[in-house]
Amino acid sequence: MKVLIVEDELALQAGIREFLISEKFVVEVASTYDEALDKALNYAYDCVLLDIMLPGGSGLDVLRAMRDNLIKSPVLILSAKDSVDDKVAGLEIGADDYLAKPFHFAELLARLKSIIRRNAQDGQHLLHYKNVSLDPELREVKIEGMPIILNRKEYDVLYYFMLRPNKLLEKSTLAETVWGNHADQADNLDFIYSQIKNLRKKLKTADATCDIQAVYGIGYKLV
Amino acid sequence: MAISIKNYTNRFIVVTILIVMALWAAMFYAVIMEEVYDNIDDGLKNQKILIIREVYRKPELIAESTEFGVNQFVIRPVENATEVLDENVFSKELIYMPYDKEEEPYRILRTGFYDATGKPYYLEIRTSTVEEDDFLMDLAISLLALYSVIVLSILFINYFMMGHAWKPFNQILKNLSQYRFGKADSFVAVDSQVREFKDLNNHISDMIQQNEKVFDSQKRFLENAAHELQTPLAVSINKLEFVLENASLSEEDMIRVVEAKRSLQRMVSLNKSLLTLSRINNQQYASQEEVHMQAIVDHALTDYEDLIAYKDIQVDQEIVSDFVLMANRDLMQILVSNLLSNAVKYNTQPGKIRITMRADSFTIANTSADGALNPNYIFERFYKGSQDHNSNGLGLSIVQTILDKYSFLVIEYRYENNMQVFEVKKLM
Repeated sequence: MKVLIVEDELALQAGIREFLISEKFVVEVASTYDEALDKALNYAYDCVLLDIMLPGGSGLDVLRAMRDNLIKSPVLILSAKDSVDDKVAGLEIGADDYLAKPFHFAELLARLKSIIRRNAQDGQHLLHYKNVSLDPELREVKIEGMPIILNRKEYDVLYYFMLRPNKLLEKSTLAETVWGNHADQADNLDFIYSQIKNLRKKLKTADATCDIQAVYGIGYKLV
Repeated sequence: MAISIKNYTNRFIVVTILIVMALWAAMFYAVIMEEVYDNIDDGLKNQKILIIREVYRKPELIAESTEFGVNQFVIRPVENATEVLDENVFSKELIYMPYDKEEEPYRILRTGFYDATGKPYYLEIRTSTVEEDDFLMDLAISLLALYSVIVLSILFINYFMMGHAWKPFNQILKNLSQYRFGKADSFVAVDSQVREFKDLNNHISDMIQQNEKVFDSQKRFLENAAHELQTPLAVSINKLEFVLENASLSEEDMIRVVEAKRSLQRMVSLNKSLLTLSRINNQQYASQEEVHMQAIVDHALTDYEDLIAYKDIQVDQEIVSDFVLMANRDLMQILVSNLLSNAVKYNTQPGKIRITMRADSFTIANTSADGALNPNYIFERFYKGSQDHNSNGLGLSIVQTILDKYSFLVIEYRYENNMQVFEVKKLM
């Protein structure tokens, strides 16, 4: 899958690039308005990550030019501005989603995958790990073909794990991405523990070959 | 007690006019009396000449005039003629007057003359004169009347004229009280032809413009600083995420990195709160719609349900009636979320949250071990309770900023039955 990163902060651009490459994406980058316009209008991407404030112009204009030229590549706006107006404007012009900086890579990946999934023509979007399969479209989890019942939060937690099995997922990242912004100020993140415990129990009861492992003091990973 | 400027000058006017009129009355009295005696004395001297002429013509008159008769004079022979006779001596005496049945003042001329034969005689002529005490009394009464009329007129004119003249000033005061910091156009300049008021108006307008400019640039600075911090924070956090991916890291190092990341995360949340504050102030939440608070509370409770369950908090809801108002939905969500977040965060474990919804108010109360908070400080930025490490101290400040947008809403804090109570209500 091919992704264009439009970001003028080179350090941030390099970080995203490195991360997406490690997630097996094919990545191209643009750091100015002209460069972004040139690449976005001439090549097809599975997704464009678009910063709004660019040297030489606004990311929103890049998006407008793409839509005017009937380029349907999905767009995920990344903005430090995080203002309601920008968000509304971006979504109105035809962006698929909006992510405020700073963000966790886990969240970027989840949003990116869901955008790509929504825009993919073929229905091949199931996530597999060991004997667990997860259908983001139907929000359905099956173990050995047998569906298991998860509540909303448990499903979301598992979805994040399934996106990047074997990778560490920090408690704070989980809290923020699954429970939302209000959770980042929670005085302790132990409440996640009980959710993970329930999820583990359900996975175990259904004879899943994978398990969620605690990394002490830091977070969890799906193994 | 402060006195209105309309009446402020009055006491000076009353006293000054009293003194001026008293002095004037004294001078007037002296001058008039002088003139009156002068006239009377001239009359008496004239009478003396007439009497002496008459006596020359009819010497028998001397014998007839030894008592005061209708002519009001007496002539008496002089025993020893050594005295100087033709000197005029005036005096004032009280003499019984049958008409008034009391002593009345008389002007008396004592002098003397020589008759045709050269024999000396005393001559005493008297005439009724002005009753000084009556005159003084009359003068005082009329002056008092005049004084009252003048003072009343001045007070009257002052009251209406000053009231009218100071109208622009009162208007300026009223407009000033309606001025809200951060809204330069909330002060309306008052049009006045009076130079002083015009100056006052201009100075106030200038001052407000200056303050707003400073306030604006500070706001922009805050916003820009927060914006500029976002990218470096994002880069640092993402780099640390990479480090964490590195499996070769020892557990201690991993924990260190995670702690560093958490600190950065706190900075991010602080930054977000600051941006939220400046966004609220920058009218980015201007749109309004009918907001049903109950729905917002329900939604917020769902957001926090896991945290609430984890902390073993019992939520009691009393819905008397839905609180419906015209406001920005996002702001109301932030408002409720911040209040609920505090109610969860500063709760006991186990604890209670009581939410009461009425047609014109919404109350959220939580059990607390902290005791009453100081209501003067809790809504200030960066105010934190004693042992609070996880708060950025902006939650209630954001609540206050949101409520400042809606003049018909107020928040009240109280501590009752060991519960922290926050009530958002409509002003009647």
